[in-house]
Amino acid sequence: MTKLPIKISAKNVDVFYGAAHAIKSVDVEIADKMVTSFIGPSGCGKSTFLRCINRMNDTIDVCRVTGDIMIDMEDIYDRRVDPVQLRAKVGMVFQKPNPFPKSIYDNVAYGPKIHGMARNKLELDEIVEKSLRRAALWNEAKDRLQEPGTGLSGGQQQRLCIARAVATEPEVLLMDEPCSALDPIATAQIEQLIDELRSSYCVVIVTHSMAQASRVSDRTAFFHLGELVEYGYTSHIFTNPSDKRTESYITGRIG
Amino acid sequence: MNLYHSKIHRSLLVKDARTQQRNNAELRFRAYGLTAVSVGIVALVILLVSIFTSGMTAFQQTKLQVTLELPEAKLDKKGQRDLVAMKKVTTIGYFKVLGDGLIAQLERLGVETGLKAKEVREILSKESAATLRNAVLADPSLIGSTVTMEFLANGRIDGYFKGRVDRASAQLDKNVEPGQLDIADALAERRLMYTRFNFNFILAPDASDQRPEAAGLGVAILGSIYMMLVVLFVALPVGVAASIYLEEFAPKNRLTDVIEVNISNLAAVPSIVYGILGLAIFINMAQFNQSSPLVGGLVLTLMTLPRIIIPARAALKSVPPSIRDAALGVGASRMQTVLHHVLPLAAPGILTGVIIGLGQALGETAPLLLIGMVAFVREYPAAFTSDSGLFGEASTALPVQVFNWTQRADPSFVERASGAIIVLLVFLLIMNALAIFLRRRYERRW
Amino acid sequence: MVSISFPFSMILLIAVIGYFAARRKAIAMVKGNLRQLQALPQAYGQTVFFTTFLPATVILLGWAFVVRIMGPSHALISDGLFQGLVIITAAVGAALSYLRVKPSQRARAISERWIMVVLMAASALAILTTIGIVISMLSESAIFFRQHSWSDFFFGTVWAPNFRGGSQLSILPLLWGTLYISFISLIIAVPVGLYAAIYLSEYASPSLRSVAKPAIEVLAGIPTIVYGLFALITVGPMLRDFFVQPLGLGSSSSSVMTAGLVMGVMLIPFVSSLSDDIINAVPQAMRDGSLGLGATKSETIRQVVVPAALPGIVGAVLLAASRAIGETMIVVLGAGAAARFDLNPFEAMTTVTVKIVSQLTGDTDFASPETLVAFALGLSLFVITLGLNIVALVIVRKYREQYE
Repeated sequence: MTKLPIKISAKNVDVFYGAAHAIKSVDVEIADKMVTSFIGPSGCGKSTFLRCINRMNDTIDVCRVTGDIMIDMEDIYDRRVDPVQLRAKVGMVFQKPNPFPKSIYDNVAYGPKIHGMARNKLELDEIVEKSLRRAALWNEAKDRLQEPGTGLSGGQQQRLCIARAVATEPEVLLMDEPCSALDPIATAQIEQLIDELRSSYCVVIVTHSMAQASRVSDRTAFFHLGELVEYGYTSHIFTNPSDKRTESYITGRIG
Repeated sequence: MNLYHSKIHRSLLVKDARTQQRNNAELRFRAYGLTAVSVGIVALVILLVSIFTSGMTAFQQTKLQVTLELPEAKLDKKGQRDLVAMKKVTTIGYFKVLGDGLIAQLERLGVETGLKAKEVREILSKESAATLRNAVLADPSLIGSTVTMEFLANGRIDGYFKGRVDRASAQLDKNVEPGQLDIADALAERRLMYTRFNFNFILAPDASDQRPEAAGLGVAILGSIYMMLVVLFVALPVGVAASIYLEEFAPKNRLTDVIEVNISNLAAVPSIVYGILGLAIFINMAQFNQSSPLVGGLVLTLMTLPRIIIPARAALKSVPPSIRDAALGVGASRMQTVLHHVLPLAAPGILTGVIIGLGQALGETAPLLLIGMVAFVREYPAAFTSDSGLFGEASTALPVQVFNWTQRADPSFVERASGAIIVLLVFLLIMNALAIFLRRRYERRW
Repeated sequence: MVSISFPFSMILLIAVIGYFAARRKAIAMVKGNLRQLQALPQAYGQTVFFTTFLPATVILLGWAFVVRIMGPSHALISDGLFQGLVIITAAVGAALSYLRVKPSQRARAISERWIMVVLMAASALAILTTIGIVISMLSESAIFFRQHSWSDFFFGTVWAPNFRGGSQLSILPLLWGTLYISFISLIIAVPVGLYAAIYLSEYASPSLRSVAKPAIEVLAGIPTIVYGLFALITVGPMLRDFFVQPLGLGSSSSSVMTAGLVMGVMLIPFVSSLSDDIINAVPQAMRDGSLGLGATKSETIRQVVVPAALPGIVGAVLLAASRAIGETMIVVLGAGAAARFDLNPFEAMTTVTVKIVSQLTGDTDFASPETLVAFALGLSLFVITLGLNIVALVIVRKYREQYE
């Protein structure tokens, strides 16, 4: 199973929201340069677990994470790690597109600017162009770079958010239900984009659509009630699941 | 594609220099925020401490006990105890009698003075003559006897006991002699002069410039109470009625939009403009009595109306539509829905808004200055008289009294002004505490 | 003079009697069988009450007001006759509406219509206030401008009223003081208020917030006379003794700096609570987006949240400026009465509001330009603050549309 190098390795991870036990003893190894999807019924904890990988849960006071999560063999919860640096390495795209009320250019340039990735305007221009190309938005945006990002359509805004995320040259890309707020055409565009992104990044995508998971991902992890029930190749999960619960979810009996 | 920048995230365990810089910037930013909060709090503390330290002493007053004869020869020449005749003796006469009594007392006690009789007399407040006169007129049988009574000491002596005056400043001050301070010390040793809690500060009416020791807040408090009553009985119903109409019944069109902007503006108009309005309309046009609590109350009502309408509308708006739907569903009319269902539920919020509005009105000074309340009023205003009508008699108000006292030359009035502010703040504290209590107890979170 | 208390009590009496009589009549007409009535019995009573009370009272108060304004000689009819007429009006109203009471009358609808009239009248009062303000100031200012050139008022540079004639009455020196003091107060209040709001909503622990927020709110609830006294007895002397005199910059305890400092403190909670609302209105998704890219909290606030909230913050600053410009007691007690153009903030300089107070109090001759100028000053003040308030409102409204 592990021909490609492991990028993210989680061992015995528990997450508590106050007294509620949201994630229970999850172990998973996610490989690089492929798309892994997290599926499961609502409230099963897949988004919560996703947010552990870039320590976004730190912003919530009552949230407590135990266990180890390693990226490139480094424990991201180590005391020496600054979440700010982590989040340059691990990018995130959210459910509802959330471009800043700035121009398209400034949206994409924001990350590189704060991380000091460009020495001058020319370099910044290049980073912006490269990121917009990666997000398949360059042709539509190149003549309107100074226009507000909020003026784009839903699908375009999400691609802008993807461009913004890849601008910091991350190695991991986390996507939390990126298409759930989009229409079918925009969804198809994003899914095609994910397909292109897999060659450069370790992509983890949370989705409530099993169809999308089977279209887009190489490996799938099925979460239920905070537990990682089954994890394996997507084709295997959807045609021949090993766990009864997985089978119930896929056939529509639960969730 | 070539990457020009250096890969900034080789190892997460190594904090690179730029991240460190950014973290430092973060700490600095936090520090600025905390500093700002501290500035606000420190300013508040300094304000309160300075007012309290300068005003606390206003609640105490220096008095002395004098045992004196009340000679008939001076106070009731005709000897008939006829009040009309007795009233012809003015306070000047009584002051002399009192002064003589004090001088005699000092001789009896063996206190050396070395001062002229006039200077010894002036240890007493000029108000004390009025005190004695009132006592004698109330009970003429006292004439001919020896009485022991308590009298106010003069403002400078009071200042001596409170630390404002010392022998060095007494040398330079023409209102007090160091010899008087010696006498004061001597009397204090014999427990005949003391500084006690002074209820009169709160109850007595104002006193003239030369008698800061006798000045009190009684008239001001009464005037403020009358005005608050006017505001309560006019602004509350009108404000609630207006907000009910605007929130529940008025059609949503451009006109009501303009009205809403209008009311927001009125809430932000400087209060002095309301004073001008009051002057022009109530006093010049309608010829109400200047300086009456009625006019003051009406001016404050106009000022408070928008400040009641805005929170009242918010309270009405916060009642969920499901309540209205339910009432309409059982056949209530719109008016009944609003009056029987929505209004009671919005009542705590409305009441809180009213109390806070009243509190703001209580502290307003500028509009009252313009309608003439800055005059010196010695008599307690009656609530209703046949020729001036309801709340028509001249009065003053708490904040105006403070302003008044700051304009007087005698430095003891600064203490009075600060003391008055303490009283004002106490009233406001009570009102705000009441509002908070109501809010906590009765407000619902939908 | 029209006396009100007697006729008013009579009207009230007739109205109350009418209420109970009508109620009884309605019940009697259905012989106690309440279901046959179109409305509750009290509604019938209410129709009679309103018909009796409202028209008569309106006439009474209206006439009394008119007579007051015009002067008693214009009364046209004697006081006694008028009172009689009003009482008769009430009685007639009572009788007519009593006669109309019958079971089929839609009493509730009628009484509700009266109530609506009352509610509308109350709302009208709010608008009348604005109209009253504008008219009263305009009319008195008009009289002033007939006596004193308006170009001198608006463009002249000297303020020197002289009751014996030949006054120079110009607003510019006063406006200078007003703007200078407001400027200083904003320099203090805006950064402090903004940073405090940011810290309390983004960084502070709940326990700190629960103490600090109310403490700052207390500053907002303190009446301005208290701030004025504070300026007079503490800030002014301290500034003079420790700072101004040693540096030889002046010798007065009343100064622009004194008033500006104290006014700044007064405005801190104002700016802080407005900014707090505005900052909280910025959606969390925006903050998440920025944090997800690896920005620190301060970078997020400085580069995403504040720019997003900027229109609202500008609106808040304008409102604070309007408040500062219209403030009276702090400047009366803290800034002095000298009208001058001076750059030294440690000199006493007076403002528009101080002069309004000083020209209208004390022994004044109401027809003289020296007194009437106060109305012109008030009008100018009203226009300036109104302008600022409207601009602020427009900016905040446009900004709110962005997020809704």
